[in-house]
Amino acid sequence: MIATTAAAAGPERVLRGLAVRQVRRGALVVTAVCAGMSALVVVGYHSEALDPAALAALARNSAIRTLFGEPVALDQAGGFTVWRTGTVLAVLLGVWAMLAATRITRGEEGAGRWGLLLSGRITLAEAVRQHLGVLAVVPVLVGAATAAAMIAAGVDATGSLLQGTGLAAVGLFFVAVGGVTAQLFASRSAANGAAAAVLVVGLLTRMVGDGVPALAWLRWLSPFGLLALTRPFDSNRGLPVSVLAFAGVLLLALAGRLAARRDVGAAILATAGSRPARTALLGSVPAFAVRRTVRPLAAWSAGIGAYFLLLGLIARSMAEFLTGNPEFATMAAQAGFPALDTVEGYAATLFALLAVPVGVFVAVRLAAVAADENARRLTLLLAAPVTRVRLLAAEAAVAGCAALVLITEAGVAMWAGTAIVHAGLGAGEALAGAWNVVPIVLLCLGAAVLALGWAPRAVAAIGALPAAGGFLWQVLADSVDAPSWIRALSPFAHLAAVPATAPAWVAASVMAGIAAAGVVAGIIGYRRRDLCA
Amino acid sequence: MGVSALRTEHLSKRYGRLLALDDLTLDVAAGEVFGFLGPNGAGKSTTIRLLLGLARPTSGRAWIFDTDAADVAAAHNRLAYVPADVALWPRMTGAEVLDLLARIGPGTDTAYREELIQRFALDVSKPAGTYSTGNRQKVALIAAFATRAPLLVLDEPTSGLDPLMELQFRQAVGVARDNGQTVFLSSHQLAEVEAVCDRVGILRAGELVEVASVAQLRRLHHTEVAATFTGTPPDLAGVHGVHDLHADGGATVRFTLSGSPAAALRALADADVATIVVREQSLEEIFLAYYGQNAQ
Repeated sequence: MIATTAAAAGPERVLRGLAVRQVRRGALVVTAVCAGMSALVVVGYHSEALDPAALAALARNSAIRTLFGEPVALDQAGGFTVWRTGTVLAVLLGVWAMLAATRITRGEEGAGRWGLLLSGRITLAEAVRQHLGVLAVVPVLVGAATAAAMIAAGVDATGSLLQGTGLAAVGLFFVAVGGVTAQLFASRSAANGAAAAVLVVGLLTRMVGDGVPALAWLRWLSPFGLLALTRPFDSNRGLPVSVLAFAGVLLLALAGRLAARRDVGAAILATAGSRPARTALLGSVPAFAVRRTVRPLAAWSAGIGAYFLLLGLIARSMAEFLTGNPEFATMAAQAGFPALDTVEGYAATLFALLAVPVGVFVAVRLAAVAADENARRLTLLLAAPVTRVRLLAAEAAVAGCAALVLITEAGVAMWAGTAIVHAGLGAGEALAGAWNVVPIVLLCLGAAVLALGWAPRAVAAIGALPAAGGFLWQVLADSVDAPSWIRALSPFAHLAAVPATAPAWVAASVMAGIAAAGVVAGIIGYRRRDLCA
Repeated sequence: MGVSALRTEHLSKRYGRLLALDDLTLDVAAGEVFGFLGPNGAGKSTTIRLLLGLARPTSGRAWIFDTDAADVAAAHNRLAYVPADVALWPRMTGAEVLDLLARIGPGTDTAYREELIQRFALDVSKPAGTYSTGNRQKVALIAAFATRAPLLVLDEPTSGLDPLMELQFRQAVGVARDNGQTVFLSSHQLAEVEAVCDRVGILRAGELVEVASVAQLRRLHHTEVAATFTGTPPDLAGVHGVHDLHADGGATVRFTLSGSPAAALRALADADVATIVVREQSLEEIFLAYYGQNAQ
């Protein structure tokens, strides 16, 4: 009998099956990217004879350490690969892990889909534990695949395994962070925000710990710092990665405990009870879009502002070091950071990075519109005399303006940092460099609007593709010396090094044109399709 | 008939191979309270989504007061809507949601809104995330009734309300009717439809099978008859209009009657009738009869 068979399978197994279905696609993509990039960079590595004295100078330079982490074993393919891809892949895996953790726990619960699930024999704590347990397997697979790919590409097994273990531990840690914030906060967006804050603070702590010798101990407090402290292909230390994995396991256990202490649908941090109405920014559709953007904008600008202030503070030291050690300028160029030996070149190179967080911000804001539609929150707005085009135009315009605020803020922060160390970067130059990434952010906006019109389930992924995907593509193409037409597929290949050179107006116009076409096509699709409302 | 508040012509909607709505032609007059009935999946919500322009029809057209329903900016200036499943931004309080809906909506009578908040006993200072299903529904109901828009489209608006609130809802519909507002009420609560609606339409598997006043529906449909006899009951089998004949062996005969009662009455008159009870079916029974036909 069917009923007997289903009952015999056990509720835990059914839960695990449900969790697997929700994470398998993303898990495959993350595994493929981590393993694939590591292997490609190993294969593409060209050994260059490096002067040991120059290497020692490199390892001592605080700017290099702040920006790229401590350079270790750069004379080997494995060491170079870890230095080149380690932080990028750890951030990618960490972001995916925390978003997936909040999505399959708090997201499902908030959407009301756990009500039925938990009316059976399963407790809330059990459901949380099983879902996080399944998700925690993914970083292990990612680490194993990365280690296997690096070994297969021909580097030392010990270092590869340690790098894979480190990645797995970072992933596990962020699964647990997402799991804990999902218990603390009643909404998925608040849980995501808190987990993202942990990630950004972890990155900044690593940068400061690497850059300031007196504060080197700070690295023990950051997941990315602990990852760097393992020093694969060099001293191969196991203790930091054990600390990180242990912290992850503790947090996972904490998530289960917290889940047992709260009601379904509620959170450990209680939402405020009654309060007076705040009626500002409720008067029109654009005003309401602004109202919903203010809070995320504040959080993103705190992270981006701190990061670019720090980059400004190390600008002078970096430029001076590279002028004195030209062989590293060449090496940085191979790693995708050309012209770091002048302050203007340095600013131009690092401002290009700004396109990634701001592009992701735009994609996430439009994905929030898709989520509001999917949760039927837009129904009451669209039943008012509000056309879809007006709603979408308001949301896209507000997201675009918020992105310009972030970009301008990054320019001002970088300028302030360089002004403090008297690096000689003008405010106009800093703003020009920051504004140079606008075309890529517009591409993200165009892609996100296009997705909202034609593929509303994939707005965040498609919207972030020009910035995040384009950045990874360029890193990869630079690392393996890919032919120029492959490089040209990334929008980053078409950015001029502003303020070191004049803006590439033609390329910028072409990108803006593509973005506009995406917006128009997206609006057509959004007008035509049935809304999930 | 005068002005139409809501009109559809050959409206159809196909989702892949499923024909969710098949050639619906419907006309709801201004000032009417119209009940829209049908089992789950009959196409009620699909019809409303098409009327609101949330989904695009595969064929056919719809009008709200002679404005094409696709012209949302104009059409929605004359209607207010309560969805079956009300979702709100969890961090906004009830008062903030009501303020937003009033400011972007077709115009709101704020004094009446305050009265409705009192009548529905809603605490509007709490964040919507703490509201139950019924409380979220109250927010949408208060916002809709307070607009005084000429057309109110209500999709199962009372599914989460308790009987006291259900009473308030019926009163609010009464006030709307007195104001000359048109109410299009999709509902499963047949007692509610019976209490407030002038006319009903019954939808089955995407097709409109009946549009009539509640009284007409009853007349069109079966009447239950129970008769007892002092002598031997007559044999009514085969008499025109008589169905579901039950003779319990004794002096009592029960049957349902459809169409003209003349033949049955003649047959009864020939016997010695002691008592006779004639009962019209409730809307629920009529509805279940349609449901039953669907199963056959």
